[in-house]
Amino acid sequence: MSQHILFDDIDEPGLATLQVYERRGGYSSLRRALQMSREEVLQNLLDSGLRGRGGAGFAMGRKASFLPKGTMDKYLVCNADESEPGTFKDRELMQKSPHMLIEGMVIAAYAADANRSFIYIRGEYELQADILEAAIAQAREAGYLGERILGSELSLSLVLHRGAGAYICGEETGLLDSLEGKRGNPRLKPPFPANQGLYQGPTLINNVETLATVPHIIRMGGENYAKIGTESSTGTKLVSVSGNVQSPGNFEITLGTPAREIIYDLAGGPFPGREIRFWFPGGSSSPVLLPEDLDLAYDFNTLAQAGSMLGSGAIIVVDDSVPVIDVALKLAKFYKHESCGKCTPCREGTNWTVKMLERLETGEATPMDLDIIASVQQQIMGNCLCVLGDAMAMPLGSMVARFRGEFEQHIEEARFRAGLGAPPEPSEVEIAGVGN
Amino acid sequence: MPRPEVKFVTFSIDGREVEAPEGAMLVDGAKYGDVEIPVFCYEPKLGEPVGACRMCLVEIEGIPRLQTACSTPVRDGMVVHTQTERVKEAQNSVVEFLLVNHPLDCPVCDKGGECPLQDITFGWGRGISRMVEPKRHFKKPLELSPLIAIDRERCILCYRCVRFSQEVSEDYQLVLHERGANSFVGTFDGHPYVAPFSGNIVELCPVGALTSRAYRFRARPWDIEGAGSVCTLCPAQCNVEFTVRDERVLRVLARENAGVDDGWLCDKGRFAYQSIHSEERIVQPLVREGDELRAVSWERALEAAAGALAKAKGKVGAIVGGQTTNEEGFLLQRIMREALDSPHIDARATGAAVPLELQRALAAPGLQATVPDLEFAHTVLVLGTDPIDDAPILDLRIRRGVRRHGVKLAVATSRPSALDPNAKLWLRYAPGAEQAFVAALDAALSGADGFDALAEAADADPKALLALAAMLTADSGSADDGAGGAHGGEDVVIVWGERLGVAALPALLNVAARLGLDGRPGAGLLELPAGTNGRGLREAGVQPNAGPGLAEPTQADGKSAREIAAAAAAGELTTLYLLHSDPLREHADRRLWERALERASTVITHASVMTDAIREHATVVFPAESYAEKEGTVVHPDGRLQRLRPAIGRPGMVRSEWQLLTDIAQRIGHDLGVLTGPMATQQLVAAVPFYAGLTLEEIGGRGVRWQEREAAAAAPAAPAGPFDAGTPAPAPMPNGALRLGTFRSIWASTEVEISPALRFLAARQQLEISPADAERLGLVTGDRVEVGADGTRVSATVTLRGNVPAGTIFLGEATAESSATELLGDQPRLVEVRPA
Repeated sequence: MSQHILFDDIDEPGLATLQVYERRGGYSSLRRALQMSREEVLQNLLDSGLRGRGGAGFAMGRKASFLPKGTMDKYLVCNADESEPGTFKDRELMQKSPHMLIEGMVIAAYAADANRSFIYIRGEYELQADILEAAIAQAREAGYLGERILGSELSLSLVLHRGAGAYICGEETGLLDSLEGKRGNPRLKPPFPANQGLYQGPTLINNVETLATVPHIIRMGGENYAKIGTESSTGTKLVSVSGNVQSPGNFEITLGTPAREIIYDLAGGPFPGREIRFWFPGGSSSPVLLPEDLDLAYDFNTLAQAGSMLGSGAIIVVDDSVPVIDVALKLAKFYKHESCGKCTPCREGTNWTVKMLERLETGEATPMDLDIIASVQQQIMGNCLCVLGDAMAMPLGSMVARFRGEFEQHIEEARFRAGLGAPPEPSEVEIAGVGN
Repeated sequence: MPRPEVKFVTFSIDGREVEAPEGAMLVDGAKYGDVEIPVFCYEPKLGEPVGACRMCLVEIEGIPRLQTACSTPVRDGMVVHTQTERVKEAQNSVVEFLLVNHPLDCPVCDKGGECPLQDITFGWGRGISRMVEPKRHFKKPLELSPLIAIDRERCILCYRCVRFSQEVSEDYQLVLHERGANSFVGTFDGHPYVAPFSGNIVELCPVGALTSRAYRFRARPWDIEGAGSVCTLCPAQCNVEFTVRDERVLRVLARENAGVDDGWLCDKGRFAYQSIHSEERIVQPLVREGDELRAVSWERALEAAAGALAKAKGKVGAIVGGQTTNEEGFLLQRIMREALDSPHIDARATGAAVPLELQRALAAPGLQATVPDLEFAHTVLVLGTDPIDDAPILDLRIRRGVRRHGVKLAVATSRPSALDPNAKLWLRYAPGAEQAFVAALDAALSGADGFDALAEAADADPKALLALAAMLTADSGSADDGAGGAHGGEDVVIVWGERLGVAALPALLNVAARLGLDGRPGAGLLELPAGTNGRGLREAGVQPNAGPGLAEPTQADGKSAREIAAAAAAGELTTLYLLHSDPLREHADRRLWERALERASTVITHASVMTDAIREHATVVFPAESYAEKEGTVVHPDGRLQRLRPAIGRPGMVRSEWQLLTDIAQRIGHDLGVLTGPMATQQLVAAVPFYAGLTLEEIGGRGVRWQEREAAAAAPAAPAGPFDAGTPAPAPMPNGALRLGTFRSIWASTEVEISPALRFLAARQQLEISPADAERLGLVTGDRVEVGADGTRVSATVTLRGNVPAGTIFLGEATAESSATELLGDQPRLVEVRPA
C-alpha cells in the first residue's frame, strides 16, 4: 500500500549533508539527466504524470513545457512558503533531505531551460532555511550549482529567500511580488508566470515536494513512476495528518490509498472514546468531509468528485469534542487576518464572515444569519483575484451546510445565555447530512 | 516606435453583434455596443488593469469562471453576457461587499451626486443591506496634504490613488498600509502628500474618500455647471473643465485630450483658479495721480492711455506676456505697427529676437513633434528644459512613454532634472554654454573636428556626449515601417526649451537635419516656450522682426524686449505698453528694467494683480481678464490652436481686452474693424496664411494642429541648412567663484501666491548647490546665504542637490522676492556665495 520514495532513507542520520546524500546515490539522477537532452528530461516529467503537490495539482511537466523558448533569463522558483494550516510535509523534506530538493531543482531547471532559481522559504522555517543554506553552499562547492554544472552546458544560480510571514506569499504570484521586494499581493492572471513571472520573465514555479520528486522520476523513468498510484494521480504523496489523532505526523502514501487507512492505520485514529466528526482532506481550505467519506480513495480525482480536494495533502481530523463553530471561527479569523486586501470579495467577505460568526456567540444572531453566512460564502467563491477567498469560503460553506443543526443549536443557546430567548429544546447535536 | 495599428473585430455582447478594436478591454469594447460594465479600479490612464475591485465580472462562453471585463481583451467571435443571473449575482455581491465598510454618509459627502459608488450601487446593487455589524472607523477627515483631505472610512480600497502615485507621477509617496480589511491609504511615514500632481487623486477617487480641501463643502453637483476651456497658466495648455457656481469658478477638472494632456492636471492648474476670485485682483481701471493710482472710469482711463500713446508715436515699446491670446497680441501689434509707427513689440522673456530665417526653419511643419510623439518615439531627448517646471504635464507624458512604451530617454540640461532617474542617459553642461553644448552634440553626430574643444567649452563630459550621439542615431533595425524611407534609424523627438537661447538654435537645426527629423512622422522638435502662448504670439506677429504668419515685416525691424528696455532707459522710447507682463519679475536684468520703467513717461499695463512694477511705475492700469473669462485662441507648443471660452462673467468693471484694444485704437484714430471677439479671430486667420480658412467651430473643444491642415502648405519656406553655428564662447571658468544658472519653478507665479490653497507652495528663493561646493563653503541645507555679483545681492536658502555639477549653483527666477533675474545680464554670470 505505501511505497516509500521521498521518505526512503529520510531518517538516515546526516542525510542533510552532501556526503551522506551522495553515498545514498544522491545527484546520480542529475548526472543521468545531464546525459539526456532537455526534451528527454521534459518527456520523462510529462510521462510521469506528476501533479503539483502544492495544492492546485496541475501537471508539473506540462507547466514546465509552457515556458517560451529563447535566450532571455528564465527563472525557476521553488515555493517553500508552506503556510496552509495543517501542512508540514515540506518542512520535514527540507530539514532532512535538502539536497533532494536542490537536485530536483537543477534537473527541473534543465528541463525548463531556466538559468536562475530561487527558493522562497517561509520566514518561520529558520532551522530549515539554515540547513538549506548550508546544503546550497555544499552543492555549489561540489559543482552541482553555478556555471557549467558537471561540465555540461547547464548553468544555474540558486538563491534562498526568506519570507516575512504572510500566508498570501504562498500564492504563486504573491510570492513573485514578494520575491521582487514588493508588497506580496497576488497578480492578475493571465499573464501566467510561465510567460511573465519573476521580473516579468518566464518563470516555472513549483512546490518543494514536487521538485523533490523530480530526481526519483529521472531515476525510475517517467513511465515507471506513472505506474505507481492511480491513473490520474500517479506516484506517492506526503500527507501531514494532524488534529484529533493519536499519532499525528507526515506519512508517505501511494495515491489512491483509502483515507481510512491513513487516518486509522498510519495516524493511529481518534483517541479512545472519541468519534471522528469531520475531516479536512487537503488542508484547512478544503471543504470538510464526514466519517462516511473515510473509505474514499485518497487521490486528486476521487476527492474532487466528493466535493472536496486533495490540496496540499494535509488531513486535519476533528472529533466530537470540538464544537464545529469553534473550528469555523478559527478558520475564518485566520483567513481574514491573511487576506491581502487587494480584491473586494476576499477582503470584505472574510471580514464580514468573522463578524457574523462572532455574533453567533453573543446571542444576537438568529438562524437567518446562517443563511447570510452561507450566501456570503457563495458570493466569495469564484469571484476573487486569487484563491485565498475561496480557501475560506469552501470549508466554511461546507461546515454551515453540513452542520446547520449544530449551528442553530448554538445560536439558541447563546440567545438564552444572553437573556434573549427561551431555553432551546435539549436535543442531541444533529449532524445535518447524516441519514440523508 | 510606430503606434500600434487598430484592427476591428466582431464579438457578441448580450446577444448583440458589436465591432470593437482588437485588444481593447471588454469594458471599453462593450461601449461600442452601448453596454455599460461597471468598474471601480479600472482606469486605463493608470496603466495595466489590476482586476482588484471585481465589479466588472462578466460571463464569457467557454470559460467556466466569471472573468473581469477590465482585463479581458476583446477577441473575434467572443460571446459575452452581462445580464445573466450569475453576473447579476456577482455584481450584487461586489456592491454589497464594498458597502460593508462604507459609511453611507452621502448626505454630507462632497461626492454625493457625482459618485460612481452611488451610481453603481443604484444601478447594479441589490438595493437592500444585510449587514448589521459595526463598520470600521477612522478619525476623519484627515489632512492628507494641505490640498487634499482623506476620509478613510469612505475608501473602498480601489488602489487608484496608490497606483497614480506609484506608476504615473512616480512620486512613490502613497502606499497601502496594513492588509486585508485593515488596509488604508497613506504616505509611508505619515508626512503630507505634497507632489506636483497630487490633486489628480481627488479626481481619480471613485468615492468621497479623497476630496479637495479647496472645494470641500462649497457646492453640490446640482448647484454647478461645467464649462470647458483651456488652462493658460503654462505652455502645456491642458484642457480643463471649470466647475462654476454662481459666476464663480469653484474647481478645475481635467478634460481629457490625448493630444494635449492625457487627462491629468498639475496642482497649479488644478488649484490656482482661486486667483480668479482673489481679493487682490484689480477689477477697475486705475490712473496715476501723483504718487497714487486712483480708480477711475473707463472713459478716463482710455483717454489717458490713448492720449499718451498718440503723443508718443514712434516711441512706444510693447511687452506682451505669455498668457495673452493670439487675438489680443495680434490687435496690439496692429496698433503698434499701423497706428503708432512703433514696431517695438516682443513677447520673448529671454529678451533677444530670433532671426526670422531660423524661426521659419524651426516652424517647418514637417519638423514639429506632437505631444503623443513623446510617448511613441524610440528616443526622446530633453534639452535645456525641465518639463516639470516648464510644462508639467509633459513630464508625465515622457514618464509614460518610458514606462509603458520603452522610450529611451536622454536628458541634457545644465540643471538636474526631475526626469534624470528615468533617463537612460543624463548629462550636464555649464549654464550659459548652451550654444557650445548643442554644437558639440552636432559635432559628435557628424564626427567633425573640434568636438573635444566644443565639449570642453560646454564643460560637458565628452564620453557622455558621444554616448548621447550614439543613442540618437541608434538603429534598432525594426524601424523600416515604410515611413522612415531615406532616413532609416529611429524616431527621435527633441524637447527643447526656449531658455536654450538664440545662439544655440543654428546648431539645433543642424542636429535635427543630421537626425533626419524633418518630414518624419513620429519624430521632430518640440519647443517649450517660456510663455504659455509663446508660439501663438510669434505666429500672430508679436515680435519685432516678423509680422503675422512669420512674414517679413513691412516696416524696418523693431526692437526686441531687451532693446526696448535699453531704449526706454536711454530715453529713446517714452511710452511702454505692458500687456499682461511684469518685466521686473519675468525678464532678465531687473536693474535695467527698473531704469527703463523709471525713465518712461507713460507705462500702460493690463494686469490682474498689483505688483511692484505697477505700484511704482504704471500710469494707466487696465484690469485684465482671467483665463476663465477670456474669449480667444492660443497655440499649443506643438501647433495646436485651442479655444478659450468664457466660463464666468467678468468681475467688477473688467471688460474683454480685445474690445479694450479696439477702443484704444479708435481713440488714437485707427479703426481696427473689430466688433466682436470672433471678428478678431477672423482677422488673425486672414493674416496668417497657414491658418487660412480656420474657424472657431473647427477648433472646437479639442483644438486643431495647423500643421495637419491643408493650409500648412502656406507656411513660409524654411531656408535650407546647414546653419552657421558660429563660434561658441566657452563657459566661464569658476576659478573659485560659482557659475550661476537659473530656472523658473512651476510655483513661481502670482497665481500661486494669491491662491490661498497653493500659497504654501509659492516658490521661495533657494540656492541649489552641489554637496562638494557646499562643503567647501561650509554650508548645509537650510542656511541663509547671499548670492552676489557686481554689487547686486540676492538672498536665498541653501538646498544641497546631488546631481548639481560642482562649480555651479542655481537660483530661481520670478520668485516673489529676490528673483534671480536681478543677477542676470547679457552675459553668463559668475557669482559669490556668502553666509547672510
